[in-house]
Amino acid sequence: MPVSDLKDKTCIVGVGATPQGQLPDHTGDDIAIWAFGEALKDSGLKKEDIDGLIVQPSFGNLGDIKMVGHRLGLEPKVAANVGHAGQSIQFAAMLVNSGFCNYCACMYGTNQRTNRNRFAGSAYHMSGNFDEVYGLSNPGAVAAFNYRRRMKDFGATERQLGAIAVAQSKAASLNPLAVYKGPLTIEDYMNTRYVIEPLRLVDFCMVSDGGFCAIVTTPERAKALKKTPVFITGMGAQASFMELEHPRAMYHPSQVPNAKMLWENSGLTPKDMDGLLAQDAYTPNVMAALENYGFCEFGTAHEWIQGGRIELGGEFPTNFHGGQNRFSYMVGWHNTYDAVKQLRNEAQERSRQIPNAEHILCTYSTGHWQETWSVIYRR
Amino acid sequence: MADYTKPLPVVNDLNKPHWEGAKRHEFLMQRCKECGHKWFPPFPTCTNCQSTNVEWYKSSGKGTVFSYIVYHQGWLPGYKDSVPYNVAIIEVEGVRFINNVVGIDNKAIKVDMPVQVTFEDVTPEVTIPRFKPA
Repeated sequence: MPVSDLKDKTCIVGVGATPQGQLPDHTGDDIAIWAFGEALKDSGLKKEDIDGLIVQPSFGNLGDIKMVGHRLGLEPKVAANVGHAGQSIQFAAMLVNSGFCNYCACMYGTNQRTNRNRFAGSAYHMSGNFDEVYGLSNPGAVAAFNYRRRMKDFGATERQLGAIAVAQSKAASLNPLAVYKGPLTIEDYMNTRYVIEPLRLVDFCMVSDGGFCAIVTTPERAKALKKTPVFITGMGAQASFMELEHPRAMYHPSQVPNAKMLWENSGLTPKDMDGLLAQDAYTPNVMAALENYGFCEFGTAHEWIQGGRIELGGEFPTNFHGGQNRFSYMVGWHNTYDAVKQLRNEAQERSRQIPNAEHILCTYSTGHWQETWSVIYRR
Repeated sequence: MADYTKPLPVVNDLNKPHWEGAKRHEFLMQRCKECGHKWFPPFPTCTNCQSTNVEWYKSSGKGTVFSYIVYHQGWLPGYKDSVPYNVAIIEVEGVRFINNVVGIDNKAIKVDMPVQVTFEDVTPEVTIPRFKPA
């Protein structure tokens, strides 16, 4: 069966969010269960309807499928721990489409801010401690290396990079769920301290507590439910574990074949998209997604994003929820949630709504893009 | 030398030849005797063809700065107190690995600049290879 057969065969019928930021009285599991309850309410389904359960594990050995399943009192046909947000949605679509289950709930909850996950380790996979010996720590180092190389290869500047943090800050100021809502001008950006040069503090994701849940079913079953379904229209996936051995190591190489798969199977093009939610963690990654998925030419994103083009109200809204440096550190789950809200015309404040949004592309990835997923959601 | 507070290599059977080479002021990397692929840091199997028929060889130690970053905030002992410090991806004979550029101000480092290995005897027992402008 070609992947294109999955086009529009499944849809999201319920989403749930907890408050984001700090939830000190809740464990990661408490937060996932909270998000599940919100998604159930949103969909109008009963708990007993849920026969597929996917949970992404979270910091501190939480999110174990057996513990979460037990606390939810569920007896699902399929239950699985899946490592990533985009992969969870894709697996849910495959399971539901194949008839393995009818209503698959996917969720993630974390309290890693309260529990102080420090993210001090490095990101490349190497033997021994060749990273520590040379002072390499923090996964943001990878994005900093990437942007430095872009500066040399294509003449990109630090000021140009600032357009992403500025756009995401503007978007977050309108997002009721966003953790950081304060304004940020390009001058503020340039005056922000470096953490790992050429990246500044606001180029880094925050660490935050929060949870999201999404429920996937078929369009036929969706007809009986209360919310407008949001269709899963296209999917792409690709991994590349070569890291520094890859010739295009600095430019997220796995996203290139991922994009090819996505556009071929969906029958759509970048021009059909009304917006992009790119998993960032670090702002340079947004540029990589814009290029690799074909919104602009390779090596031009730092110029293309200028002049408000990617801001809400601009030509191509990108990370219009605020991204992981302003909205919340929800490793892709926030992308799915916000795409659904926009496509249902429910973006909480009218000034945040993309008018007549029909297609939104969400891109998902692991730490430094060994694994990438993409999903086109349609109204 | 007694003041070196940064992390020291954790020497094991796998990487011992590299650190012993460093004491002799030689920069050893690995290559595959089956397919010729080269890589570093070491693994027991080739990262191209997975052959276990791999060997250490003395590299030229001459290369370029593929990319570099400057830490203004530190997390690791020793490094935490020496910000701003640089970490670089060095490319030697087509192999990219993590190291530092020494003997130059951080602001003067350039991507693609030629560098060559230099050896710092940081304790009586340990020598750490780093890279200086060539």
